[in-house]
Amino acid sequence: MTTTFDPASLPSLEQQTKTRPWRQRTTKFDVSVAIAVAVPMMIVIGMFLFSDIPGALVLVIYLPLQMFASGCAAVATKGKRGILDSVIIVNAVGASIFTFVIIFSVLWSLVSKGLKALSIPFLTQNSTYISPSTPLEYGGMAHAALGTLIVVAISALIAVPIGIATAIYITEVRGKAVPYVRFFVQSMSGVPSVVAGLFILTTLILTGAINTSAFAGGLAYAVLMLPTVARTAEEVLRLVPDDLRTGALALGSTRARTVLQVVLPAAKTGIVTAIILGIARVIGETAPLLMTSGKNDATVANPFSDPISTLPVSIFENVAQPYPDAVTRAWGAALILMVLVAILFTVARLLGRNKIK
Amino acid sequence: MSTAEFEQSVVALEQEFSVPAQQGPVELEARDLSVWFNSRKVLEGVNLAFPKNTVTALIGPSGCGKSTFIRTLNRLHELLPGAALAGEVLYEGEDIYGPTKDPVHIRLSIGMVFQKPNPFPSMTIRGNVLSGLKLSGMKRSNHDEIVEQTLISAGLWNEVKDRLGHAAGELSGGQQQRLVIARALAVQPHVLLMDEPCSALDPASTLKIEETIRELSKDITIVIVTHNMQQAVRVADYTAFFLAAENEPGRVIEQGRTTEIFGNPQDQRTLDYVNGRFG
Ligand SMILES: Nc1ncnc2c1ncn2[C@@H]1O[C@H](COP(=O)(O)OP(=O)(O)OP(=O)(O)O)[C@@H](O)[C@H]1O
Ligand SMILES: [Mg+2]
Repeated sequence: MTTTFDPASLPSLEQQTKTRPWRQRTTKFDVSVAIAVAVPMMIVIGMFLFSDIPGALVLVIYLPLQMFASGCAAVATKGKRGILDSVIIVNAVGASIFTFVIIFSVLWSLVSKGLKALSIPFLTQNSTYISPSTPLEYGGMAHAALGTLIVVAISALIAVPIGIATAIYITEVRGKAVPYVRFFVQSMSGVPSVVAGLFILTTLILTGAINTSAFAGGLAYAVLMLPTVARTAEEVLRLVPDDLRTGALALGSTRARTVLQVVLPAAKTGIVTAIILGIARVIGETAPLLMTSGKNDATVANPFSDPISTLPVSIFENVAQPYPDAVTRAWGAALILMVLVAILFTVARLLGRNKIK
Repeated sequence: MSTAEFEQSVVALEQEFSVPAQQGPVELEARDLSVWFNSRKVLEGVNLAFPKNTVTALIGPSGCGKSTFIRTLNRLHELLPGAALAGEVLYEGEDIYGPTKDPVHIRLSIGMVFQKPNPFPSMTIRGNVLSGLKLSGMKRSNHDEIVEQTLISAGLWNEVKDRLGHAAGELSGGQQQRLVIARALAVQPHVLLMDEPCSALDPASTLKIEETIRELSKDITIVIVTHNMQQAVRVADYTAFFLAAENEPGRVIEQGRTTEIFGNPQDQRTLDYVNGRFG
């Protein structure tokens, strides 16, 4: 005889509550973790307070101590198997805290010093008639922020399409020149930023082909941005499984359509990362802009005609001045630059989000 | 192998194995198991017992929750986002979802072979077979013997014995599937879960795997999901029929000895399904 489903059991099944047992932790586990965190901490604090051991040394002792304590906790809760887990977790958490502290202290000095400069005029005015000794109430960085945006936009307009096209050539077209192209892209990523500026200066500006301008700055930035975008996009496209390509081709798709409608969308978030990394590579670069876009206290909107100020160049100029207000201005400009970067990246991430959940 | 020979061996197999094994103690058992993905209930009230050293086939139309069910049996279900469950899964009498249970231990004793072959691409053929030992930290000295034995069991030995050091990726899909079966056997699990292990195999390899399953079932308990009715008849002592009505969670409609399910089903839907009338 077989057993069939008994509909009479349905009401009691309705009563069942769903659980996630794998998320529940035992008291023993919680207690072990608490002890493993508290004891080394107390030992270290005790050493700080009551011994002559130098503070830095105490910190160096802390990591092995914590690993040992966590290892003990792991053995107590999971047996020998847990030791490796605990070592990895302690190191990962330790490394993240370390990174976090560094990033946070950089951010903190930037925000605390930059906020002093921040005001409505600082965000909306330019620096015409402003000298390094002028008090903070006058003048602003709006012209430099605009300059940075224009220069970065020009470089992205040039470097992103070329970079992605390069990546597509390498991963999708797979032509004969691939090794050479890869070699050149790789070499380009080693070009120092000063050299990129010098290159544009000597070949285009000094020959009279273009003016010292946002466009010249954008070209210099593009030289720097291109290899980053190309390399990252290449790695990302390489991650797209070949099954997708064959799948599309088997549907009668052309290679171009396959790339545009299947491969690139599959790699969308990664391509956005490539663009972000490209922008991040250049946006703070100062040296190439000193030679190509120069400086200008007035607001310039024409990217081809005149020199234009940018945030990095403004920071560079102001920070070297013997006047405290100028230095504060530099910090303010740095803060604006950072906020600009944050906004750009957030927007890029939002645009690159996968629509289908 | 010619078609005639193939059919002969099928008949031989069917005769040889049509007598179900004696029902032993229950090794693995699901009790009132319901499973969710987020707010969607995909399985409801599954009660299934797997007696020690038997083969149980899970059959049912696509999307009725067979893979989901089999994944709850060795705690792989919880790795998916939104996963939740109610009820119990007892292994050797204890709930594998109990607070003191370590999923690593569970998965070591309850192995699994997946629908799609997934050999580790960075390892050689030999490395793949031994990977379970390495990953679980088991110490064994007779590696060569293990490699040979498990590859023979999985019916792959003759094809790869001269290229054990080659990359696993160069094997064909069917060969890869037999490789991952060998890999699962190398850690000597007590229970082996197989999710449509033969869907990528040719008839000859399929037969080979089925022989292996019968052979293995002398020592271990096997749960196999299959869409192939003849396969269920050939290998399984017991069969459970899963079905999900439209917009309802999947349920076990009928279960029992394979001969009964196929020869004398009580539920009309089972009768229809095993005779290929729907699904
Ligand atoms: N990761 C997931 N997230 C959400 N829902 C899922 C997920 N995996 C499976 N499901 C849903 O659970 C149900 C059962 O799926 P399952 O893969 O278990 O079916 P199956 O019986 O194995 O089918 P098949 O025979 O085609 O392999 C399906 O309706 C499916 O849509
Ligand atoms: Mg399935």
